[in-house]
Amino acid sequence: MRQPKIIVVGGGLAGLMATIRVAESGVPVDLFSIVPVKRSHSVCAQGGINAAKNQKGEGDTTAKHFDDTIYGGDFLANQPLVKRMCEAAPGIIDLLDRMGVMFNRTPEGLLDYRRFGGTLYHRTAFAGATTGQQLLYALDEQVRRHEAEGKVHKFESSMFLSAVIDDCGVCRGICAMDLRTMEVKTYAADAVIFATGGIGAIFGRSTNSVVCTGSAQSALLQQGVDYANGEFIQVHPTAIPGEDKLRLMSESARGEGGRVWVPRNPAEKRAPRSIPEGERFYFLEEWYPKYGNLVPRDIATRAIHRIVYQEKLGIDGQAAVYLDVTHIPRETLDRKLEGILEIYEKFLGVDPREEPMKVFPAMHYTMGGVWVNGEDQATNVPGIYAAGECEYQYHGANRLGANSLVSCIFGGGLAGPAAVKYAKSLEKGAEAAASTVFDREKKRQEEKNQALLSQDGTENPMTIWRELGDIMTEHVTVTRINKNLEKADAQIRVLQERAKKMNLSDRTRWSNQTLNFARELENMIILARVVTLGALARNESRGAHYKPDFPERDDANWLKTTRAKWVNSEIRLSYEPVDISQITPRPRRYDAAK
Amino acid sequence: MSATETQPDSSYFLRKLHSFTGLLPVGAFLAEHFWSNSAALVSARKYDDVSQDLQTIPFRLIVEWGAIFLPMLFHGGYGVYIWWRGKSNVSAYPWVGNWLYTAQRYTGLIAFAYIGWHLYTERWLTHGRSTYATVAHDMRNPWYLAFFVVGVLASSFHLGVGVWNFLCKWGLAATARAQQAAGRLGAVVGITFSVVGILIILSFRLNWHPFAFYITK
Amino acid sequence: MGDGKQVIVKVKRQAGPKQPARWEEFSLKWRPSMNVIICLRDIAESPVTRDGKKTTPITYDSNCLEEICGSCAMLINGKARMACSALVDQLDQPIRIEPMSKFPLVRDLAVDRQFMFESLKRVKAWIPIDGTYDLGEGPRVSPEIQEQGYPLSNCISCGNCLEVCPQVNEHSQFVGAAIISQVRLFNMHPTGAMNKSERLAAIMGPGGIQDCANAQNCVHACPKNIPLTESIAAVNRDAWKQALLGWLG
Ligand SMILES: Cc1cc2nc3c(=O)[nH]c(=O)nc-3n(C[C@H](O)[C@H](O)[C@H](O)COP(=O)(O)OP(=O)(O)OC[C@H]3O[C@@H](n4cnc5c(N)ncnc54)[C@H](O)[C@@H]3O)c2cc1C
Ligand code: SF4
Ligand code: FES
Repeated sequence: MRQPKIIVVGGGLAGLMATIRVAESGVPVDLFSIVPVKRSHSVCAQGGINAAKNQKGEGDTTAKHFDDTIYGGDFLANQPLVKRMCEAAPGIIDLLDRMGVMFNRTPEGLLDYRRFGGTLYHRTAFAGATTGQQLLYALDEQVRRHEAEGKVHKFESSMFLSAVIDDCGVCRGICAMDLRTMEVKTYAADAVIFATGGIGAIFGRSTNSVVCTGSAQSALLQQGVDYANGEFIQVHPTAIPGEDKLRLMSESARGEGGRVWVPRNPAEKRAPRSIPEGERFYFLEEWYPKYGNLVPRDIATRAIHRIVYQEKLGIDGQAAVYLDVTHIPRETLDRKLEGILEIYEKFLGVDPREEPMKVFPAMHYTMGGVWVNGEDQATNVPGIYAAGECEYQYHGANRLGANSLVSCIFGGGLAGPAAVKYAKSLEKGAEAAASTVFDREKKRQEEKNQALLSQDGTENPMTIWRELGDIMTEHVTVTRINKNLEKADAQIRVLQERAKKMNLSDRTRWSNQTLNFARELENMIILARVVTLGALARNESRGAHYKPDFPERDDANWLKTTRAKWVNSEIRLSYEPVDISQITPRPRRYDAAK
Repeated sequence: MSATETQPDSSYFLRKLHSFTGLLPVGAFLAEHFWSNSAALVSARKYDDVSQDLQTIPFRLIVEWGAIFLPMLFHGGYGVYIWWRGKSNVSAYPWVGNWLYTAQRYTGLIAFAYIGWHLYTERWLTHGRSTYATVAHDMRNPWYLAFFVVGVLASSFHLGVGVWNFLCKWGLAATARAQQAAGRLGAVVGITFSVVGILIILSFRLNWHPFAFYITK
Repeated sequence: MGDGKQVIVKVKRQAGPKQPARWEEFSLKWRPSMNVIICLRDIAESPVTRDGKKTTPITYDSNCLEEICGSCAMLINGKARMACSALVDQLDQPIRIEPMSKFPLVRDLAVDRQFMFESLKRVKAWIPIDGTYDLGEGPRVSPEIQEQGYPLSNCISCGNCLEVCPQVNEHSQFVGAAIISQVRLFNMHPTGAMNKSERLAAIMGPGGIQDCANAQNCVHACPKNIPLTESIAAVNRDAWKQALLGWLG
């Protein structure tokens, strides 16, 4: 029998799980990643992973996990597969446990669970404060084992550029660039699984890692793979602003009594602690007297945005507000918040016990992603599968904390066998595809590189990227106003034109990071437009998508999945109904029991 | 699982043997040697007696070669190989452990050279019949004396750090606290040997016998 | 804007493994909470040296920017550390930035740390599970073991412990502290312990634990505060016992 061949692009949780499943079925896998897979973004996840194991005797069930997920996602997720995911979650935890993840334990030696946002149950398994890292390592180790046995072949300094799609519209492999030799090559495979993660970089700075650019998703879109619900972007209210990255600051700082404020005078020059009480604006406490600093995430986020962008009261005119814990006794801080305060100190060199922290909401997660079919992670192009944060189907309009890791592993675990099954069902595999199909794609990509390397222009890719991030962060994150979104899209299109005049200050062909960044940037700009146009079109407020001009959820018109397609080199939006066969939508309210 | 799968590399064997011989017999011999030479602190006579006793042990050549010279040769010889394979970086990383590591390498070389020379002069040339008088005579040469001092200090230091290394490298001191304690033990060993060694040298050089009053009693 | 303070950065440049090395000096605009990654990004946006010469952006590795992915290890003012957590205000200027010296150079500040991943393979740093299908819960693990194992499993494979180790150099094959610590981690786990003797045998192979000479630099250089010297001692203890029993039996 013909031996099929699978390619996995991306080695985060989703990609590694898919790889393991494929290898386990005896089919060889080529695993591509920009960074060594052990350094993938999944290591950043801190909180934990959800599964209704009911380990605390609270009567938790997978049905309740399912309901929380659908409700938290404001009913935009297709329900059947979410249900399957919640049912599979306890088994996933068992598997990770068997793989040796150093989960926190109870005295009896069982897994410990904690409570997380959006639920009443202790449902979140965790390994210290670095759960994502621990899970990723467990999968990485299993993949290494398969690699040692010759079943997996890694290409760990390799960037996916495009899929190789034959004349019948079937995927036959990929085209990738070696990031050292900068050589462009094609690789044949019967099926390709994408697990390329988040898109934080289109917002310039986010809580995501550097390689989370969404470039692969965008490249796929431009080859006919649809992209769904792009407008749904989760923003975390309190992150530590940094010029390179926005690092997460846990909600527990507010939970322990931290207060959020800005100086009333925008031209304030004094050090924060010498500003008298009366000249401080505790806007959350003033605007939401009932909940004060503990308003739900999205409300806190919007309020901070209003202070900075509408009221222009950001500290020193910057996008930041104070999160103040200096009034809390030192012992309390050291006992309850030590770990997170240390992060602040480490990266800002400032002791938050002495000086109020500066925080600002940060783009955190994309609910939207590559469109998949609701059954086995297949996209609309035969032979292309997607799993993990790069696809759209588990979180609806808003993701619950600790649900992403489980969706990545579940999705990856589904995609692997599905791809194998598909590959085995093919009468003729990739080896039968005409070599011209591969040559054509390779030539197309090489020409792009050549053009970038040789063109003389005036634009610096880093500058364009920074401007893109500023536009997206100001207009397309928290509060969305149609006229601003239109403006943003116009500005992005200007950037798109300017990007054609990029001048690479490095024209060599060895480990040229400017070249691959320029390639990514072109794709990021297109994906930014997908997000912006999706947001512009959706005239309602749902989950993370909030329009003050359309403050209510509008099920009659918008209980629909956005599906972006690439038609004649333009983004075309279409809509399809959401599968609500299991739970009937009901209003989602943060301020009362559901 | 077959036995070969669990068998270590020969370099493992050699490294462990190196570490082990450093303590036993080389370290133990050093202790014995310092002990018997301390007789000089009592009197020249006592020294010559002890020396005579040692020179007349049964199977002397076999014992000397099997339990002292060969292990020492191995420890020193393999030590030079280890020295060659290491690369000190103490200027970039001036941590205490790193200083000790660096000093251990060089004191090892010095001690090896010194002991070789010492054996040659005091055992070989004298056919194993050195007496208090011959040693005291040698010590009058300031170069001899300097080399003695440096050699004794280097050997003592090397043994002290060696004790620490041994306890860590065989996993006998396994926690950070136990390793600190092992470090203190090593320091005590090193300092004790240095002090005793210097006293012995002084005794030969100054014809000084602080414990002579033991005899007159 | 600001007070016009400058940051002077000297970067060791090398266009490729066989190319000559040279130093370039840059003068950058100081901002609060600036770290070395931000310096490198500033240079990428305007690759001009201090004396006005045009140059290329600097090649370096980074990903998480929060000291958890292990990508950005380099020598900063002569010391191995993570660039993303190296704050300019805490460094003497001019800030000297060089690639790690114990790994093959790729370009500028980027090096190839594949050796570490290969070593993980050698020591079978994984739990040998039967498969990913449903086989029920894992073995019970006491909180004590978890508390010992968790810190070890924090290793980000940055390579700092190898970089600072005097025993890791062109004469030796020493796998370094990180790998030894991983052996301890997997041998500690109830299922992992089933392959304990194979792992110990591997760590007694060429370049194995015997090459450790107890300089203990690793434990100072580890950004994750992993108790590496304790790991080495623990593995040492198991290793010689196994070796001894092997010779006797
Ligand atoms: C700070 C932070 C904390 C979080 N905490 C939690 C939490 O507590 N619980 C939770 O459930 N979720 C959490 N999340 C979300 C979660 O971490 C991510 O959604 C998840 O890890 C994504 O995994 P992934 O496998 O989809 O992708 P990633 O881990 O991002 O991996 C993507 C992979 O794709 C590769 N890649 C990308 N582009 C290309 C290309 N063009 N060519 C080749 N390879 C490519 C990369 O090299 C990488 O290997 C958190 C996220 C952040 C930012
Ligand atoms: S043990 Fe520490 S220093 Fe060594 S690779 Fe791991 S994290 Fe880095
Ligand atoms: S970039 Fe991940 S550790 Fe510095």
